[in-house]
Amino acid sequence: MGSLKIMIVDDSTFSVAVLKNMLEKSGHEVVATSFNMHDAIEQAKAGTFDLITMDMTLPDGDGIECSKEILKNTNDAKIIAISSMMDEEIIKNALDVGIKTYLQKPVNQNELDAAIERLFEGEELYDILKNNYEDAFKESIFSFLKREIGGEILIDDNALTSAATRNSSGISVTIGIIGRHSGRCVIDMSEDTALNMTKKILQDDGQSIDTAIAFISEFTNVVAGNACSLLNGLNRSFGLRVSPPTVFRGNDITISLGDFLNKSYIIKTDLGDVFMNAGFQKVMNEWK
Amino acid sequence: MIKPFTTAVTDVLPQLGFQCVTQKEITVKSKKIIASGVVVTLGIVGDKKGNVVYTINKEGAKNIASIMMMGMPVEELDDMAKSALSELSNMLTANAGINFSNDGITVDISVPTLMYGDDIELSMNKDEIICAEFDVDGIKLEISIALD
Repeated sequence: MGSLKIMIVDDSTFSVAVLKNMLEKSGHEVVATSFNMHDAIEQAKAGTFDLITMDMTLPDGDGIECSKEILKNTNDAKIIAISSMMDEEIIKNALDVGIKTYLQKPVNQNELDAAIERLFEGEELYDILKNNYEDAFKESIFSFLKREIGGEILIDDNALTSAATRNSSGISVTIGIIGRHSGRCVIDMSEDTALNMTKKILQDDGQSIDTAIAFISEFTNVVAGNACSLLNGLNRSFGLRVSPPTVFRGNDITISLGDFLNKSYIIKTDLGDVFMNAGFQKVMNEWK
Repeated sequence: MIKPFTTAVTDVLPQLGFQCVTQKEITVKSKKIIASGVVVTLGIVGDKKGNVVYTINKEGAKNIASIMMMGMPVEELDDMAKSALSELSNMLTANAGINFSNDGITVDISVPTLMYGDDIELSMNKDEIICAEFDVDGIKLEISIALD
């Protein structure tokens, strides 16, 4: 996490002094202070802060309104509410505008440190996920195909850099991923490829399309499940679990790949090409 | 099993600006479901495990996206419209999740996956799929649920 650049918004000079003292004791840098809403909004526009502490009562407005304005301009600003007022309604309102954590005054050092750590630990965990999910899914699909199909397995991860949609080759399977960050995995292949793979695995040429569908469901389930286990191994608090597969089959299906962090691959095998897409969204409930 | 989802539809859609939300029949389907239009699926894990699939025909999907975007005309199913429909599926399923939790059942939901096309054959993880049909301002919305 390191040293954070922080702005304190509070109408009381006493509170500002207390918070500044605590934050600096923990090695952070208080680079701005603001005593009213108007000034806080202006300062937030002008500077970049890792964290903003927000009082709920300000002379020219309230902390909810002020946070809402600040978040309009900088969507990813992290705001902690620190106020003497704390009831269910105000917490709900704070959560609704995007405030991350709510602390009640008087705040002690430990409480403040813990709240900040929790907030930024989430950030670091997401980075771990972001930096490792691609390898986890590639390793997972590669080892499955190598073991079950054999032959040459080639993963091309540059073929489809920024496509927002993908035309299905015939059968598409989606698996939902649930955990600290939720996500999903899609595997798509033609009926021929699915049939070829099923024949090879079962060592029997007389396979129906229903068996092939059962194969690709299980294939996707194993690939997503193994990849999530690999990621859970990096940090247990990911808590990733997979939902059962849903299969889509048709000649005219377009898959929308979504607007969250995701990556597509073409996996070339001797029995045909496989398309895989996996991704996770950043949003998580930090109040849990 | 279906109640948390149907309640979510009748609770959430009016808040988004839909005037008339009517629940039609509930059926249990055992075979594959054939769908045309926009199909959005989400995974569910927790005390219950499975999937939910929302189906709307293409015209209806454009109308719904348009109403969700404060009446902005939607000619094509573009990124914005797809994002609105994904968000709708998210809101409905999250709301169903809250309804489940009121009954002491905890579930979490995945990111939605949106697909579209004609004659899509859908197989879910269960032999018995509960389907609920809604009329939303003249648009047919179908929800298929396979939960264990």
